[in-house]
Amino acid sequence: MRTLRTLPALFKVGFVSALAYRAEFLVWMLTSTLPLIMLPLWHAVAEQAPLAGFSQGRFTAYFFTGFIVRQLVGNWASWTINYEVRSGALSQRLLRPIHPIWFYATESLASIPLRSAFAFPAAVIALLVTDTSNLAHDARLWAMVPVAIFGAWAIGFFAHVAIGALSLWMHQSIKVVEIWSAGFFVFSGYLVPIAVFPRWLQSSPHWMPFEYMHGFPIDLITGALSVEQATRSLGAQWCWVGILGLVTVALWDRGLRRYGAFGG
Amino acid sequence: MRLERHLAVLRANLRLSFLLAMQYRWEFLLDGAMSLLWTAAAIVPLYLVFEERPRIAGWTYGEALLVMGWFTLLDGLLKGAINPSLVTVIEQIRTGTLDFVLLKPADAQFLVSTARFKPWRLLALGASIAIFVYAFSLLGTGPTWGGVAQALAMLAAGIVVLYSVWILVISVAFRAVRIDNLRYLFEAVFEAGRWPSTVFKGVLSFVFTFVIPLALMTTYPAEALLGTLPWERFAAAWAGALVFAAVARGVWLRSIGSYTSASS
Amino acid sequence: MHERTAGLAASLRSVFRREHKLVKAVDGVTFSIARGERVGFLGPNGAGKTTTLKMLTGLLHPTSGTIDVAGHVPQRREAAFLDQIMLVMGQKQQLIWDLPPADTFELNRAVYRVPRDRYDATVNELTELLELGDLVKKPTRELSLGERMKCELVAALIHQPKVLFLDEPTIGLDVSTQVKVRDFIRSYNERYGATLMLTSHYMDDVAALCPRVIVIDKGRLTFDGSLDELVRNVRPEKRLTLHFRGDVGDDALSPLGQIIERSEGQVVLQVAQSELAAAVSRALATLDVVDLTVEAAPLEEVMSELFTRGRAARAREAGREPDEAE
Repeated sequence: MRTLRTLPALFKVGFVSALAYRAEFLVWMLTSTLPLIMLPLWHAVAEQAPLAGFSQGRFTAYFFTGFIVRQLVGNWASWTINYEVRSGALSQRLLRPIHPIWFYATESLASIPLRSAFAFPAAVIALLVTDTSNLAHDARLWAMVPVAIFGAWAIGFFAHVAIGALSLWMHQSIKVVEIWSAGFFVFSGYLVPIAVFPRWLQSSPHWMPFEYMHGFPIDLITGALSVEQATRSLGAQWCWVGILGLVTVALWDRGLRRYGAFGG
Repeated sequence: MRLERHLAVLRANLRLSFLLAMQYRWEFLLDGAMSLLWTAAAIVPLYLVFEERPRIAGWTYGEALLVMGWFTLLDGLLKGAINPSLVTVIEQIRTGTLDFVLLKPADAQFLVSTARFKPWRLLALGASIAIFVYAFSLLGTGPTWGGVAQALAMLAAGIVVLYSVWILVISVAFRAVRIDNLRYLFEAVFEAGRWPSTVFKGVLSFVFTFVIPLALMTTYPAEALLGTLPWERFAAAWAGALVFAAVARGVWLRSIGSYTSASS
Repeated sequence: MHERTAGLAASLRSVFRREHKLVKAVDGVTFSIARGERVGFLGPNGAGKTTTLKMLTGLLHPTSGTIDVAGHVPQRREAAFLDQIMLVMGQKQQLIWDLPPADTFELNRAVYRVPRDRYDATVNELTELLELGDLVKKPTRELSLGERMKCELVAALIHQPKVLFLDEPTIGLDVSTQVKVRDFIRSYNERYGATLMLTSHYMDDVAALCPRVIVIDKGRLTFDGSLDELVRNVRPEKRLTLHFRGDVGDDALSPLGQIIERSEGQVVLQVAQSELAAAVSRALATLDVVDLTVEAAPLEEVMSELFTRGRAARAREAGREPDEAE
């Protein structure tokens, strides 16, 4: 109850600090343009004929949507946590009567308005350069979009917070984040749409969490999925949210007990 | 005497960097291994698209691999020899300890740009040679001696440009320290050097040839190896590189002249 | 939210239109220092001490005026000049955090081209004087603040500079380390005949090291001379401390001088130099004195009075009451 009452205040703090670091935010956003830089390559590939059903226009829709999704669901909590564990700032947080996970969650969510504002121009460009045939037409699919985006954020968030918790045991867990990110880059459809993967590799991403953080929301928005397929993927996505959520909470409880015992 | 002093400083800095690398050897080794893994992962999309098309934007798979090889080499240089020093300088500007560097009786630009190296990153050198061997085995030919010489000369010009860009980034940092994440932005843009420059059309093609001359860094050396780089273009590229270097040196001298440390 | 928008607008404006305002940090400061002299450089916070040190080392360029240090113009940054000077800043360190200090020494050896045998001799001598022992082979991050400062000094002295600039070298150190660092600096000065310019917030440093002091306040030179002279000028009064037996009222003590401190059986009086002899003989005649000491006012107090006066004078110049100043 008490946690719920403090949430609005936490959101406000998160929003104001995001605003204070707006310049950094903008540069960070621009660094995630890698998929857009990949786009010319895909255009060159699809110049004469579509590749695995991807025409040039479809590639454009895919990567612009991907850019926007990434802006909305991006996370960096593990860096914050690593820093706070090393600098001792975590001890300060633990003095407060709110579980630190809430704090990290509100900080991440509170920056979404600002990130949406930055992502907005990209969305406008995307709409101008592609025609609507590359977007979903069924209202039921669009109804699923917010849930899917929130799920995508939640998977990334829990993974980051869980990896951040590892820094309570290890010297630092930044390297683990890098390994997680490598998995993300390859298997989420970030650089290569999963539909373009060779056949023998196509089914394996479905068994990993990465696709539900990126490729799935894009496919949903670009109308690549039927309602039935989308429902199944949404179910799988939220299974991952549940699993990672449980792992995260368990890791933090054990980690904090250890932190309390050794003082970090 | 002057040269001798600078060589001694270079040797001392290399020694320090090696000692630092040994102190955190697992971290650095993991770093090197990760970058190799990335190189391998980056070839996958190339392999996939050339499975579908024999020729993209005028390049065959083997030829495009040569571009990738030069990119791998320069990326290793960037992250092993140029980037670490830059990070050190920005930290020194932030804390005001750059004063100590400016008080040393040696060229400040030299001291600043040789401050730190990451020896493990030189593993990329081996990776790029492996890529070259693989590419030429696919092409079924070998480079001519003239081609190798021209490619190496082209590579030198590429390094000059890359280094000059970094000096410009540092000069910006003198005025606004918070710009330090500009380097991440450049790293993101640099990724576009993986592809042959003919992939890019319109504005991007202009930007990557003249503003941030990625074409000069990776595509031209690859063409030189293939023996298709005209000498006029070679000469123009070198002239451009020298202009870049002169501008960077000028801007550097101006910024250092107007520099007053952070906490006076 | 209103304040936020204002902040955003302001910061945007500053991106497009950078306003330049010439602030005179130092103005009309003239002095010269002889070879081998030890000079304390004093002034309140923001007086321009660090700015002056930075100009003397060539890190900042003066807009007008001339500077000559050891026959060179600092801002030209000639190698022959830089080879002769050093700067230690108590707040900043040049030692590489993750490596032992000895490795930073090595780097400086390369930078200053010190021959191996002379380098070994210097390092041995300096580490012995500072009682560092094997600490120079431990990573810097594992050293205490005092140990780090000592190593900073070694790193800055490897090339045996002739002109030493020390900016708050003892800041944050415990008293015994302060004393050790002070003694070390003096013995280096004596052994190598090096010229020394020191700023410090600890008046003990200045009193122990510097026969001569230069005081600047708000960028202007306000005093240049010996420390004794400074104290005489600012506070000619002496401190007379009396320990006595018996119950004595304030009315019996106040004729002797101005009472500063009063406790059971003890009083501290401020007495003008000219009346000191009279006051002492009168005290001995009227009181049952057990012990008696005469001292100058503590340096800290002298300085704070000097700076307060400076502020008051400036305020008068500006035609305002001192209270309104600042």
